[in-house]
Amino acid sequence: MSRVRRFFRTYKPFTRAGMQEMIAYRANFICFLIGEIMSAFIMYFVWKAVFLSTDRETFMGFTMEDMAVYLFISFLTGYLTYSDGAFSVGEEIIDGSIAMRMIKPCSFEMCFLFQELGSRIISVAMIFVPMVAGVEIYRCAVSGFVRFQIGAFLLYIVSLLLAYMISFYFNVCYGFMAFFFKNLWGTTLIKETVVNFLSGAIIPLAFLPSGLAAVLNILPFASLSYTPVMIYMGMYSTSQILWSFGLQLFWLVVMFGISKLIWRGAVKHLSIQGG
Amino acid sequence: MRYFRLHRIFIAQYLKKLMEYKVDFLLGAIGMIITQALQLLFLGIIFSQIPALIGWSFEEILFIYGFSLIAKSLDHLFTDNLWMVGYRIVRKGEFDKYLTRPINTLYHVIAENFCVDAFGEILTCLLLLGYSIPKLSLPFHWYTTPLLLIVVVFATLIYTSLKIMTSAISFWTKASGHITHMLYMTNDFSKYPISIYNKTVQTVITYVIPFAFTAYYPASYFLTGENPLFCIGGTVIAGSVLFALALFVWNRGLAAYESAGS
Repeated sequence: MSRVRRFFRTYKPFTRAGMQEMIAYRANFICFLIGEIMSAFIMYFVWKAVFLSTDRETFMGFTMEDMAVYLFISFLTGYLTYSDGAFSVGEEIIDGSIAMRMIKPCSFEMCFLFQELGSRIISVAMIFVPMVAGVEIYRCAVSGFVRFQIGAFLLYIVSLLLAYMISFYFNVCYGFMAFFFKNLWGTTLIKETVVNFLSGAIIPLAFLPSGLAAVLNILPFASLSYTPVMIYMGMYSTSQILWSFGLQLFWLVVMFGISKLIWRGAVKHLSIQGG
Repeated sequence: MRYFRLHRIFIAQYLKKLMEYKVDFLLGAIGMIITQALQLLFLGIIFSQIPALIGWSFEEILFIYGFSLIAKSLDHLFTDNLWMVGYRIVRKGEFDKYLTRPINTLYHVIAENFCVDAFGEILTCLLLLGYSIPKLSLPFHWYTTPLLLIVVVFATLIYTSLKIMTSAISFWTKASGHITHMLYMTNDFSKYPISIYNKTVQTVITYVIPFAFTAYYPASYFLTGENPLFCIGGTVIAGSVLFALALFVWNRGLAAYESAGS
C-alpha cells in the first residue's frame, strides 16, 4: 500500500506541471484545436455531398447520421489518444538533456505519462463534454429521438483509456528510435499519416476491401481509434466488444514489452553528442 | 539584381545544409506524398459508389484538387520559414539577427529557408493535373497560359500574405504560430468544389479568408471558361489586397518589436 502511495507521490508533481503547462498555453491549444477540427468539418460536407449524389439511404452500411457521428467521435478519440511524449524523447536525445533524466530516481516513461495525463485532464475538461454533447444534439435533431446510450458510452470510455495506453507505449517505442536515427521530423510525418490511415481515422475500415479490413482490424492501430468509435456508435455486439477489449489488452502488453526491450538496448547505445 | 544574387547564395547555402540531413528531408517529401495519396484513395472509394459528386465528375474533382496544390506547394517551397517566426524566432530573441543585416527583414526571413518537403506536393499536383487534363476537354485559347501564370502568382500571394500577417502578430505577442496554423488549415476547404459547403462556409472562404480564390474559382474558370472576371479578377484582387495588408502589418510589427530579453 505504501509503495502505491509513494508511487503516486513521486509522480504527482509531473501531473501538476502538465496541467499548468496546458492552462498557460490554453490559447495555443484552442487555436490548434480549431485548426484541426476543420478537417472533420470538411469531411462532413464531403459526405453530405456524397449522400446528396446518391438516392440510397446508406453508403456501405453507414447512414449520413452514422457518418457524422463517426467523423466527430473519431476526431475526438484520435485527439485524446494522441501521445507526443515521443517527440520530447527525441529532442532530449538530440540536445543531450536526456542524461539528466537518467540520473534521477524516477522512471523515465512514467514522468512522461503523468505529465501528459495532466495535460489530458485539462483538454478533456475543455473539449470532451462539448463535443460529445454536440454530437448527441445533432443525432437527436436528425433522428428525432435521443440516441445516447449510457452503457455504450461507458464501454467507450474503457476502450478509450486502453487506446490511450497503447498509443502511449507505441509512441515511447517510436521515440526511442531517435537513439538510433538521431533525427525525427520526416519519420514523424510518415508515422502519423500511416497510423491515421491504419486506425481508420481517414476512411472507416468497413469501407476498405474486406480482406484488408480484416487484417487492419487485428493490427494494433485499429485499437487506437476505430474500436472505441465503433463501440460508441453501438455497432459492435457483446461478443465483438469482448473480443476487441481482449485485443486491446493484448496490444497494450506487447507495446509495453517492446518499449522495455528497446529501452534496455538503447541505454547501451546512447552517446551524448557534444556537451 | 542584388536580391537575385543573394537568393542564389541562400539557396546554395541551404542545399548544403540539406545534403547534411538528406535522409530526413527525403522522408519529409515521402510523408507528403503518402498524405496526399491516402486522400486520393478516399476519393477513389467514394467515386467507386457514385458516378458524380453533386454534378462534378471524378476527373473534375481531381483537377480542382490538383489545382489547389499549385499555390499551396509553391508557397510551401519558398516561404516555409515564416512559420518559424511565429513559433520560435521571435520568442527566442533570434529575430535580432535579421535586424542587424543590411537587407529587408521580410525578404531575409523568407529566403533563409527553402523547403524541399514541398516537392511531395508538387509531384502529387503534377500527377493529378497530368492525369485529369487529358480526360477533360478544357477550353484552350492563346490567353489561357498567361492567365494561368497570373493566377499562380496571385494565388501564391494569398497564402504567403496570410502567413506574413499572422506571423507578424508575434512581434506584439511573442508567439503566434497557433494563429497561423488555425488560419492556414482553412486552406483544406479549397480542395473541393465550393458548392458542397453551406452558405456560411462559402462566404468565409470567399470573402474573409479567401482560400477559394487559390483553387476552386480559378480552377472552375479553366474547366468551364465561365465567369473570368470574378474567378480570375477575384484572385488578383484578393492576392494584391492581402499582400499590401501583410506588408503593412509586418512593418507596424517591426516598429513594435522588442527583443525577448533573457
